[in-house]
Amino acid sequence: MSRIIERVRQALGVRANDGRDTLVFAKSDDFVHCADAKATERDGWMESIRIEAKALNLQVHECPDLDACGEAIASLARERDPEWGTVKQIMRWSDPILEGLGLEGRLGAEIAVKSVPGADSFSQSEREEFRREVIASYIGLTTADYLLADTASLVLLGGLGRARSVSLVPSIHIAVVPRSRMLASYRQMLSLLSAMELPSNVSIITGPSKTADIEATLVHGAHGPREMHLFVVAS
Amino acid sequence: MLKQDPLQYRELAAKAVQDKQLHKALGKLRDKFGRNAVNLYNQLSPEHDPRQDAKAVRRKIVDNLDVVLETLAANIRARGGHVHLAETGEDAVEYCLGVAKRFQVRRVVKGKSMLSEEIHLNDALEAAGIETVETDLGEYIVQLKGEAPSHIIAPAIHYTREQVGELFAEKLGEPYTDDPPTLTAMARKALREKMLGADMGISGGNTACAETGHVTIVSNEGNIRMATTMPRVHVVLLGIEKIAATLEDHDILLRMLTRAAAGQKISTYVSYVGGPRLDEEPDGPEEFHLVLVDNGRSRILADPDFREVLHCVRCGGCLNVCPVYMAIGGHSYGSPYCGPIGAVFTPLTQGINACHHLCQGETLCGACKQVCPVDNDLPRMLSLLRFKLANGDARWNVRPQSLPTKLVFGAWSVIMRHRRMYDAMSLLAGFCQRLLPRKNGWIRRLPGPLGGWTRGRDFPPLAKKSFARRWARRDTTRRDA
Repeated sequence: MSRIIERVRQALGVRANDGRDTLVFAKSDDFVHCADAKATERDGWMESIRIEAKALNLQVHECPDLDACGEAIASLARERDPEWGTVKQIMRWSDPILEGLGLEGRLGAEIAVKSVPGADSFSQSEREEFRREVIASYIGLTTADYLLADTASLVLLGGLGRARSVSLVPSIHIAVVPRSRMLASYRQMLSLLSAMELPSNVSIITGPSKTADIEATLVHGAHGPREMHLFVVAS
Repeated sequence: MLKQDPLQYRELAAKAVQDKQLHKALGKLRDKFGRNAVNLYNQLSPEHDPRQDAKAVRRKIVDNLDVVLETLAANIRARGGHVHLAETGEDAVEYCLGVAKRFQVRRVVKGKSMLSEEIHLNDALEAAGIETVETDLGEYIVQLKGEAPSHIIAPAIHYTREQVGELFAEKLGEPYTDDPPTLTAMARKALREKMLGADMGISGGNTACAETGHVTIVSNEGNIRMATTMPRVHVVLLGIEKIAATLEDHDILLRMLTRAAAGQKISTYVSYVGGPRLDEEPDGPEEFHLVLVDNGRSRILADPDFREVLHCVRCGGCLNVCPVYMAIGGHSYGSPYCGPIGAVFTPLTQGINACHHLCQGETLCGACKQVCPVDNDLPRMLSLLRFKLANGDARWNVRPQSLPTKLVFGAWSVIMRHRRMYDAMSLLAGFCQRLLPRKNGWIRRLPGPLGGWTRGRDFPPLAKKSFARRWARRDTTRRDA
């Protein structure tokens, strides 16, 4: 370890502890203040998301409240068929917003809705059990911490009840995001993250999975979700 | 896997120039990826070129690499990850094998990583009896074919859809089709099983954030997220130079990377991975290893003339606009890093003499500099490599490549500096060229050592009246008037 660092220092012709770190890790005022930019142009943001989403094959739905949103998601779940197997099961993050959708009640025995277990720790068998349930789900339901207006990207921070595989393994990813979580740009999001303790995993997701590896032809649905829905809730 | 050797360049390139199928496939790359990137650049504000910002950030990082590396390693460890600094490729491979052994790994799934190609990791894993599966669609195609990738971000771009159809029919036992969505669905099914049943995931990294202790990995397919989320262990391979200091650095670097790579504002997935899963997370890897690989990079760092090449963010943009790459494809370069960036990077890491064809094959047209998101001056470095090859260089152990070449250029330089000699020579050459075979007014073959210039193309004849003579005449007329 230290030998390679030493070699790098020799190559650069520098010495350790010479105060360069303050320069290297300095942030511009513009970047630091970009976090608390006033959200004055939100209407324009929604329009920008709609435009970006179209090119991404990301389907945007706007709902007045959680109730309407829950109903729309329930009917979407009834319409779609699983890509693998025949069982219809939804896996959702354990989050107050998603609980507010009332999907369990709306879908009843018809479609099982499971939520990510919240616990301080998990045994190996509990993790294996969770893994089986995610793999068996055709829809993964999450919310997002931020929605970026300039690219229609969702920002998902990891943590308790917010398993990484839910937005990845099921064939359909549905995310429910309150309008108030919109940000102007990727830069503004970074500025916010920069001021907090980051979780072990941050995923920024922009549309369903895609590839252009065969003759540079764009195809949706490579290894992640092949279909993605964004529900923006007004209140 | 076919053995890669940069010394086969001339032979492979000569063959590739005749390959119509290759040109059909590469034309799509140029027209889509290359054009998209240029279009996105054109949308940027004309008074401010973000390439200069990206360049400044990369320079800051590379010039202070010791500080950035130490901070990254400390922060990854604080997050519960393991960090290993590998001096050589063998060292990195050995470390990966050690981790695999400890977890009794039977299958590895990989995300695309040029560094793993550089250090021949797949061969070593397979030799240790570990099934190694590439999960990026393009990488999977070349792996099934038993080949190496031919492009930094689009590894199978040299194949037509018909060739992929035949390959899948043969290897996956699927019915033949040349429809890209159907072919993609076949790979989706086959690889999903592999990814869900693997013990270890290996990925490269696009950058890392030293300040927070995260590795940043972008992908469009989602295979990287799969390979780094589902298996029990995640190992990241990262060149020591590919780090960012702060999240602010990420802003410009990632935007420029995805723009230049495929003309995207942002890729589908950007993952910041910082260590293993936490106790309260029911998924994610139990162990996280970051392997930082030197393998010749600190030597480049020590040379101020070439340090700039370490600014490269591996977007592959220079390949998509390079007329040489478009004519000969990536395999001709005989190295995982092909195109203009490969023609500079490969000689510096594998020996300048051993790779002399690579820098001599490029045209110095400057398209790569124009498209580079960090404004890397590849043409300057290509010329410098050629200079070292002509004159020798002790620091890089370069033997002068050929004495006759050196003598010819020495003579040329003397002639260019002496007016009379130059005039005499151009008169003589103008006379002699009448003896050479011609077609449509062009010279078909030049004699002796000059023959190389006409091996693949015709040569324009010298004008009947030289520019100097015309100028002199024009000058007299003007003075007379």
